[in-house]
Amino acid sequence: MIECTHVYKKYKNGVNALYDINFTVDQGEFVYIIGPTGSGKSTLIKLLDGEEIATKGSVKVVGIDVGKLRHSKVPVYRRNIGVVFQDFKLLPSKTVFENISYALEVIGMKKDLIRRRVREVMNLVGLDDKGSSFPRELSGGQQQRVAVARAIANRPKVLIADEPTGNLDPSMSDEIMALLEKINREYGTTILMVTHDLNIVNKFRKRTVVLELGHIVADLAEGGYVQHDQ
Amino acid sequence: MINRIWRPIKEGFFGVFRHGAMSISAAIAVTLTLIIISLFLMFTMNVNQFTQGIEQSVQISATVEYGRESAEEEDRISLAIQNIEGVDTVKYSSKADEFQYYLDSFSDEKTREAFRPFEGENNPMHDAFYVTVKNGQVLESVAKQIEEIDGIESVNFGGSSAVALIQMLRSIRYGGGILAIALSVLAVFLIQNTIKLTIMARADEIAIMRNVGARNGFIRAPFVVEGVIIGALGAIIPILFTIYGYQYFYKITGGYLISAMFRLIPPKPFIWHISIALLVIGMAVGLLGSFFSVNRYLRWKR
Repeated sequence: MIECTHVYKKYKNGVNALYDINFTVDQGEFVYIIGPTGSGKSTLIKLLDGEEIATKGSVKVVGIDVGKLRHSKVPVYRRNIGVVFQDFKLLPSKTVFENISYALEVIGMKKDLIRRRVREVMNLVGLDDKGSSFPRELSGGQQQRVAVARAIANRPKVLIADEPTGNLDPSMSDEIMALLEKINREYGTTILMVTHDLNIVNKFRKRTVVLELGHIVADLAEGGYVQHDQ
Repeated sequence: MINRIWRPIKEGFFGVFRHGAMSISAAIAVTLTLIIISLFLMFTMNVNQFTQGIEQSVQISATVEYGRESAEEEDRISLAIQNIEGVDTVKYSSKADEFQYYLDSFSDEKTREAFRPFEGENNPMHDAFYVTVKNGQVLESVAKQIEEIDGIESVNFGGSSAVALIQMLRSIRYGGGILAIALSVLAVFLIQNTIKLTIMARADEIAIMRNVGARNGFIRAPFVVEGVIIGALGAIIPILFTIYGYQYFYKITGGYLISAMFRLIPPKPFIWHISIALLVIGMAVGLLGSFFSVNRYLRWKR
């Protein structure tokens, strides 16, 4: 489902962010990418969602070579993956319902189907009564749930979550984690989650890939974080 | 298909409404610049009208030699004048008409009586042709060509002072025209910049839209509609200003400036033409401004 082969990334300003990254994620897997600040986690997400192009090597997601996509094709590729960000990235001038339905409008889905699907995912994330609220009227946890609902609305095979609990308190973080586990279990969605929250990694144990200074230093199938020098 | 057209229109209206403050400030900028454009359009078109009016009122009078006053000769001369390029109308005036015209120019009866002996057989006047030209620039050359026609005694057209007046008005018209165009370009630039600012404030929104899989055209269309709506909203006050302002100005001036020579363009349909021009300029600039600005931010992120 996700295949990184000898991936290197060096930015124009000379910063080397990733060195020889090799890993694969199979369909239905839930994988954490962890590491300290500056370890290359965000760069890896950018390579996966097509925002950046690898300097060397190939990044394949759902069989698409992401680095070879033309600028105009990048949004079309993104319909195959759902992305959840730390800062939610909701459209401020649209209601919760409109934010979620936007992801379905872009693929040309019919109105009645959109309505039905939006209600479904709003129910799944527990926000049935918030359809007409604007993002600014919601708590951080609720906004992140809207972002998750939008990311899974068109049933993507892969969900990439970039520090989805980074701006949330522990109880809300647990709620979001429970939601992601539910999506992974019930829909079989492959989830790749970047985090530096060790509590979560140790509490909800999954396969864990550890990044440090742009290198993969561990890939723990059993999950949990082995204390490493930081 | 209908949804593809309807959606951006609906979203465009929502956009204007939900970003109310930004839309109003952009529309005010459009309003101010369109008022300036309106003023210059009205000024330039009126100067144009003055020039044309004066050009048309300047005429050449050509007198016929005494021995050439037969009907055949005068038909030949009239035809020869009509055939000159740039001639608009040719009007014949007999020597009797000319004498009457001369007499009428005196207001007191005594003087008129003094000229009575010259009436009829003794009339010293010439038969004459009054010629108007299509364009003031050819006045001098047409006069010269009439002078060369066999049977013409003399030609009078107000000489170099008439040509100088026409030349001056022409310069004002061209100067005003260039100024109006330059100002319009400046106004267009200002409007475009304002719209660019409203879109810049929403650059993040554009990036989010690409993140959730929206193609460039899908993102761009509502913004373009928004630009058109802002342009149209901004044109409302300038249009009202043009309609009521010009009608009021026409009324208080009595339809002319200084003298009857500078006759103003009647308000209708003039104000409608200017209003349509303002609406089209506002909407077109709104459309192009938002199109180019959104494009810029679409390329901003991959």
